[in-house]
Amino acid sequence: MVDILATPFLWVVATIALYAVAYWGYGKWIDRNVWRSDAKKATPAHMYMDGVEYFPVSRYVLWGYQFKSVAALGPILGPFIGITFGWLPALLWIIGGNFFIGWLQDYGSMMLSVRKEGRSFGPITYEFTGARGRTNLLAFVLFYLIIISAAFIALIASFWNQFSGTFVATVGILLAGLLCGQLLYRMKMNVFAVTGIGLALVVLSIYLGVRFPITLPWGVWNVPIWGLICAVILYAAAVLPTPMFVQPTNYLAFYPAYAAIILLLVGALATPFTNIPVSMPSGPFLFDPQGILGPIWPILFVAIACGAISGWHSLVSSSSSSKQLDVETDALPVGGGAMLSEGLLALASLIAYMVLLPSDFAGRTNVGAWVLGSVRLTTPFLGSLTGPVLTTFFGLVLIIYALTVQALVTRFFRLVAGETWGEGRFRVLGNKHVSSVVGLAIPWGFAVSGSWWALWLYFGGANQLLAGLAIMLITIHLAKVRAPSRYSLIPGVFMVVTTLAALVWQTGTFLYSVWAYLQNDKTWVLRNVRGPIQTDPNLLILAVAINAVFVIIGAALFVVGVSMAIRLFRSYNRSVAEARAKAPAAADGGTAEKGSP
Amino acid sequence: MADSKDPAKPRSRGRNVKEGVKGVFYGMAAHGHVTAALRTRMYLEHLFMFITLGDMLGVPVIPPYYSLKILPYAVPNIKSWKQRVFRERDFTDQVF
Repeated sequence: MVDILATPFLWVVATIALYAVAYWGYGKWIDRNVWRSDAKKATPAHMYMDGVEYFPVSRYVLWGYQFKSVAALGPILGPFIGITFGWLPALLWIIGGNFFIGWLQDYGSMMLSVRKEGRSFGPITYEFTGARGRTNLLAFVLFYLIIISAAFIALIASFWNQFSGTFVATVGILLAGLLCGQLLYRMKMNVFAVTGIGLALVVLSIYLGVRFPITLPWGVWNVPIWGLICAVILYAAAVLPTPMFVQPTNYLAFYPAYAAIILLLVGALATPFTNIPVSMPSGPFLFDPQGILGPIWPILFVAIACGAISGWHSLVSSSSSSKQLDVETDALPVGGGAMLSEGLLALASLIAYMVLLPSDFAGRTNVGAWVLGSVRLTTPFLGSLTGPVLTTFFGLVLIIYALTVQALVTRFFRLVAGETWGEGRFRVLGNKHVSSVVGLAIPWGFAVSGSWWALWLYFGGANQLLAGLAIMLITIHLAKVRAPSRYSLIPGVFMVVTTLAALVWQTGTFLYSVWAYLQNDKTWVLRNVRGPIQTDPNLLILAVAINAVFVIIGAALFVVGVSMAIRLFRSYNRSVAEARAKAPAAADGGTAEKGSP
Repeated sequence: MADSKDPAKPRSRGRNVKEGVKGVFYGMAAHGHVTAALRTRMYLEHLFMFITLGDMLGVPVIPPYYSLKILPYAVPNIKSWKQRVFRERDFTDQVF
């Protein structure tokens, strides 16, 4: 047995203990004293029960649904960039971010929607900030969807390129999903039988992936071509009826994805017995030692989003979970509990990186380092499975996490585009085929041209800013009903300021790169793009153009973010002033105080 | 699916754990798909109700004679249909 202090074991135990304090200590306190949740109060699920959108669901089911909806590639790849500053700051942010902000946002969004009759964030934003506020949110979400799509397409293409066995395995799962959809919905076959067939096909897909690895022969053009293949698959997912393709595929993908999480957590907890020590430096490094990313603040706080705090979760919490909450007191285990559990996924991923050597990261180019770390953690107790099988399995898990979420994102983009441009001069953009192609072509362009870490930081920036805005909406509501609002105001201000600073830094980096090019220094411009643009001297002007486009995107995101933040802070000030002028109220809408003498 | 609490029926701890595990598994694997299927059905029902009883919302499509013939079968759904149609929706409702 190795020195237990040298393994990640104690960090895992300490994080679990602190998350327990966050849930049973701070969480319960906020639930009782700030939101004053009341199990006897009718929730929208009961008030508006229609058996379709509004119906009460047990907290266990809803927790499973919420966790599955929020846990994806974010908590796995965020720590990959975060560990650049040392594993200790990354770990502290995963613990502290989730403890004080992450769960509070997910839980607060759910409670806010419940208190607002199950309404989603769009109508609530309209109520608090007016029509322009909602338009800002729409513009922001459209940008966000394009950036998230670009980051995920870039990653899927890179994974297919790096792990040669994964493409066949992915296609196998997609075909198995199509088959299961037909068996389930057309042949009306029993769901257990279909699941059995589907799982057998998943195992067969992994076997075939290992047996028939695919490597494209076009060198630097490999990733763009993999990206194109990915875009074609996503187009099919966006336009085909969900029961035919997306639903059964996501259902089958669930099994290997969650098996991997369990294996990883077991591997992390077993490190004192498997003799796997922490090999990465703990840091903290106040600046990226490679001189690329910049300072620890604000970059670390946008690099690790999901697992610490993520704005996407606020949309999930307020769009469907809040309409199915049985009793108000379930919001803490469902919203807060699912977020804290996602923190454990981020922790498991960080552990997978911590046990690697710095050389395993190959600078910052080895995006599949998670697979390497996962194989290292699990090999001691899965020894009978050979390296290629485990590598294909974990590589496949990365891809299906990205692919299943991206299928939903592309579909969501299509629906948002339909809503935004369905009428008027640009109505052609509302067409489902046109909007799907646009929603994939632009991200594909970014994915094949920009470095993935640049895209990831923009994605993180947009995501975290959305989180800051969501927390401000929660704060405004609390101020309106004269409940203590400082517990969400401070995290909200921190997130808004941090993410706007990150966007300024990122945009400044691209701007400096263009400026350096004009001063005959092309290294900065080339650093922000990837092959073939990076390697072909004839495409240098394209590299400059891409940097310029990233400047425009960063600036646009910043302007929309600032505009939204100003509206929210004004609304907060108004709410505080109005609340002071009115009779006392409470977070429960004022019922308690109004009824009392 | 619609597993509301029923305080009249106390259950053993083992049974609660079993139900909890089953619920979590169902929630992770299938609840989203079931909700999506229900939503698809909802949109189809909306279409049917608009065509047959649209005049209730000021959208006359077929002659009232046929609407009246269908009315007895549609009565149980009218309240929730109106509620859903009049509910404020926007792009954030489309997420999941």
